[in-house]
Amino acid sequence: MGLVEIATGKVLSSFSVFLFLTVLLLVVARRISTCILLFSVQSAIIAAEVFATGFQERLAEAYVVGALVFVIKVVAIPRAFFLLVDRLKTSRDVKASTTPTQSVFIAVAMIYLSYAAVHSYGQAVHVPEDALAAAVALILTGAFLMVSRRKALMQMLGLLVLENGIFLAALTTTFGMPDLTGDFCAR
Amino acid sequence: MKIAINLLQALILILGAPLLRGIIGRIKAWIQRRQGASIWSPYADLVKLFRKEDLVPPSASWVFRFAPRVLFGTAVCVAAFVPVVQPSALLASRGDFFLLAYLLALGRFFLSLGGMDGGSALGGMGASREALISSLAEAPFLLGLVAVAILAGHADIAGMVAWTLRQNIFNISAVHILAFTSLAMVVIAETGRMPVDNPTTHLELTMIHEAMVLEYSGPSLALVESASAIKFHTMVALLIALFAPWGMATSVSVWSIAAALLLYFLKAAVLMGLLAVVESGVAKLRMYLVPDFLGVASAVSALAVIFTMLAKR
Amino acid sequence: MQPGSTELAFVSVLIVLGLVVPLVLAASRTKGARTLAVALILVSCLAGCFVAALGFWRGSGFLLTFSGVTPFPFSLTIDRLSAFFLLLICTVAAPVAIFAFTYFDHHYGEQRRNWMWAFFSLFLLSMIVVVAASSGFAFLVGWELMTLLSAGLILMEGDSAERRHNVLIYLLMMHAGAAAVVASFFLFLPYSHSLDFGAIRAAGALVPAGIRILIFLLAFVGFGTKAGIIPLHLWLPRAHPIAPSPVSALMSGVMLKTAVYGFVRFTFYFLAGGPWWSGYLVLLVGAVSGLLGVLYAIAEHDLKRLLAYHSVENIGIIYLGLGTSLLFLAHHAPIWAALALIAALLHTFNHALFKSLLFLGAGSISHATHTVDLEELGGLQRRMPVTGTAFLIACCSIVGLPLFNGFISEWLTFRSFLAGSILTNTKAQIILPLMVGILALIGGLAAACFVKVFGVAFLGRPRSAEAEQAIEVPVPMRVGMAALAAACLLIGILPGLLLRPLASLCQVLIPGAGVPKEILMIARIIPWTAAVVLGAMALTALFKRAQKKVPTWACGLPQLTSRMQYTSTAFSKPIRFVFSAVYRPDRKIDRLPADQPYFPASISYRSARTTSYEKTLYRPFVDFIVAAAHRLRRLQTGNIQVYLLYIFLTLVSLLVYLRFVR
Repeated sequence: MGLVEIATGKVLSSFSVFLFLTVLLLVVARRISTCILLFSVQSAIIAAEVFATGFQERLAEAYVVGALVFVIKVVAIPRAFFLLVDRLKTSRDVKASTTPTQSVFIAVAMIYLSYAAVHSYGQAVHVPEDALAAAVALILTGAFLMVSRRKALMQMLGLLVLENGIFLAALTTTFGMPDLTGDFCAR
Repeated sequence: MKIAINLLQALILILGAPLLRGIIGRIKAWIQRRQGASIWSPYADLVKLFRKEDLVPPSASWVFRFAPRVLFGTAVCVAAFVPVVQPSALLASRGDFFLLAYLLALGRFFLSLGGMDGGSALGGMGASREALISSLAEAPFLLGLVAVAILAGHADIAGMVAWTLRQNIFNISAVHILAFTSLAMVVIAETGRMPVDNPTTHLELTMIHEAMVLEYSGPSLALVESASAIKFHTMVALLIALFAPWGMATSVSVWSIAAALLLYFLKAAVLMGLLAVVESGVAKLRMYLVPDFLGVASAVSALAVIFTMLAKR
Repeated sequence: MQPGSTELAFVSVLIVLGLVVPLVLAASRTKGARTLAVALILVSCLAGCFVAALGFWRGSGFLLTFSGVTPFPFSLTIDRLSAFFLLLICTVAAPVAIFAFTYFDHHYGEQRRNWMWAFFSLFLLSMIVVVAASSGFAFLVGWELMTLLSAGLILMEGDSAERRHNVLIYLLMMHAGAAAVVASFFLFLPYSHSLDFGAIRAAGALVPAGIRILIFLLAFVGFGTKAGIIPLHLWLPRAHPIAPSPVSALMSGVMLKTAVYGFVRFTFYFLAGGPWWSGYLVLLVGAVSGLLGVLYAIAEHDLKRLLAYHSVENIGIIYLGLGTSLLFLAHHAPIWAALALIAALLHTFNHALFKSLLFLGAGSISHATHTVDLEELGGLQRRMPVTGTAFLIACCSIVGLPLFNGFISEWLTFRSFLAGSILTNTKAQIILPLMVGILALIGGLAAACFVKVFGVAFLGRPRSAEAEQAIEVPVPMRVGMAALAAACLLIGILPGLLLRPLASLCQVLIPGAGVPKEILMIARIIPWTAAVVLGAMALTALFKRAQKKVPTWACGLPQLTSRMQYTSTAFSKPIRFVFSAVYRPDRKIDRLPADQPYFPASISYRSARTTSYEKTLYRPFVDFIVAAAHRLRRLQTGNIQVYLLYIFLTLVSLLVYLRFVR
């Protein structure tokens, strides 16, 4: 197998755990700039996912979508956010209404819930469970951020994370991810 | 022959421990654009300390002098648990990670008592802070190892390492990534590295681990220092053995052992480099933010355990 | 040994403790009589150990029936489970009796000493009757006697209003629990037609599912009240600290274990496992008791209250093991159920040993310094070396450090949690390994607490004049403590002594279980570990250098005073801060005079802690009962015609029922 094939295989089978890590870090982060960085990392992972799907399925439009995701969500929007943070001259603190420990346990509960929710669905339709669960987890995290952070910037970021989740769910169910349900979490 | 190699492993862990300290110090110095001390300087420090007198406060009891010995004894025993060059160690085939964790707790218990025996305010302060951190760090440590053990189907360390060795290096498992994250955070907290504790601080009020040993001098201090170094080396070796053991010798031949040893040093050096970068890059956490740090580690390790069940579905 | 002689030995134990000792003490008030009484108690404890050892290691049990003599069927048996608990009682009672011999002499006047020993002996008898009972009547008689005698022993110590209030709460809760136990026994009656344990076990399969659930819940609540699980533990921190220290040792070390015995007898022997959700319930209660118990203990600085809360925590750990066992039973995994049950029973034994040692240590401290407030102690290790060393061994054991006995049972509990991952039920598959985290947290907090206890009480510098002048306790007290400490070390290094017979015991209780391989594993690895650790420590003796006494650096001040050390409250502050959601203290700061807030003449600070469940659970419950009682009082008008009306109405409604409903 060529190096590119191996790489795309790896990306496709293990990207959801990195998305879960970004979810956990997002709910814990204390500074707005950290959250913006995490959001752009998340979008980069999703863009890589789109590229990998395009390579596997040989779909030209996937490359276009991936490039758009990269330009807009990884470069443009975070830059705009950083500019906003500078201009608004507000404090850099996230102003969370839950302590980091509570937030991270809520995040764990949300991840478990997303797995429980997609379990039955994922078996009926041939969709990799992990990707769909990551999508639902992103949606829940976005909603949680909007609810528990008192800064308007964080609420906007929460909405964007939620939108990331919806995009990932759409990607998973429509472009049709290659059937890699067996490879992930290899024993 | 296998026993001789196991003995060699334990000796490497024990005798090579100060070298690891020296390497981290040198890399940090290089990052900070300083010359830095030689990587062999911790050995020189230990030799110097062994030649000095042992100063004891007049109000201290036998626990004060006994504590460094217990700490050293448990550190040496823990070093016998961890495989380095081959997937077995002196006590690893029957000893599991619960025994390892609680042996470390035994050493810590006596060290805290020794700190309180000095009769100074700072000893009590160090013991109190160490008590907070170690009580919260036990859970993620054990949970992370439990997650790996459930996947491996073994609870003894040799079994876990042998199982990981059989896996394909490119099949990253979510459980392992999460367990590694939480274990790395716990190792940082337990061995007193940044961002939990600054090992090179001179300000007593910012110390956690060092404050407990302020009253020790001479051979007792040498025992404490070497025990901390052995504990650090053992934890690093445990992380490498559980998460990146490929390269370990599966046959008993001089070449494979030598190659495994070289590979181990390379992995350790990479890990030291990463640690040095993290230590130079982040600021020390305020003490009351450390429970949040450990709470994140607990949640990540709990997630790792949950994922073991999800993986089997 | 002839089969008849063990029965004879056992009966003579009962007679000595029940009749001979009180008679001796009633006969004369001399010191000789007391010495004779204590010697008799010791001999009967040793005889009891012997009987129990035969029953436990060899499995030779027997049955004694006294039904001819008594109005209700009264029989005693020594099967494996009873033998194990009898061994526990006698092994702990002997050193405690030796300790109490000198302790009671120094602390109580002539009047009370004989009474205390008589009650002590009868208390032991009642506990032996409880664990050896083979009929419901015998069990309940022993159960009630235990409560009454321990209350009597507490009241012997002193008679103040606060004491009586606490004893009243103790008696009330114990009777409520006993009522639940009685109810659960009687629920078997329609199916077993007798309260004999053998008949109940045979009838266990015939009981319908709904009644089984009710029996399980009643037994759980009844025995749980006696054991001290949260939220039924309210009496524990009130009753244990005010009892004399040897009696506290017996109450905390042995009496709580009889509740565990009762619960094990009901769920494993009678019911063969509870309903499918029983494991989860017991696990939950165990986890909550363990966590909250240790958190409340950390905040205490009265040593005996702290130890009482630690009893709650250890009962929580025992219940974690029992819950795991029930869960495995419900999922048809008998060998893992046996492992968890062995862990729970071994922890019961270990806790009896080290908790009584801790209470004896507290007794020694109070004997030497007349206080058990940690803030007044310090530097006792140099003045009381034997007490300090024994107390240190007990601290290491209760924390669960390797080479001491507490580690073995905690290790077995951890391994049984880990084994949960092989179950196929997804809920249990996650919950059991996650319990590892909870037990690890409990253990970590317990370690923090005991560093505080030993460090503040025994190490450093004395914080009060009494602590400065403490002298070592008399020899019998030292002997008692040393015996218990030696037992802790023995089981810690050679756990196989108890583990193998416990495995056979669990094969009786859980049909289909073999010997779990973890038993052999731990029995083999611990001596090796001990050898390596001790060997490395011996190696360090090579590096001994001359020791020079130099005062501790006092940061430039001329001298360190004992007030500069960390106090118990200061030590626990970080943990109390992190877990402040549990504590919720009431803090009041008064500045006088009130109209000059910035230039006060005096400022007073008051901090009180009512535990949250007391506010949210007990207060509303008590208020509700009082309000309901007030409303019911309106039925009692005092008018005789109204009472006659009640009788008339009852008659009419019975006639209506007979005619129209039947």
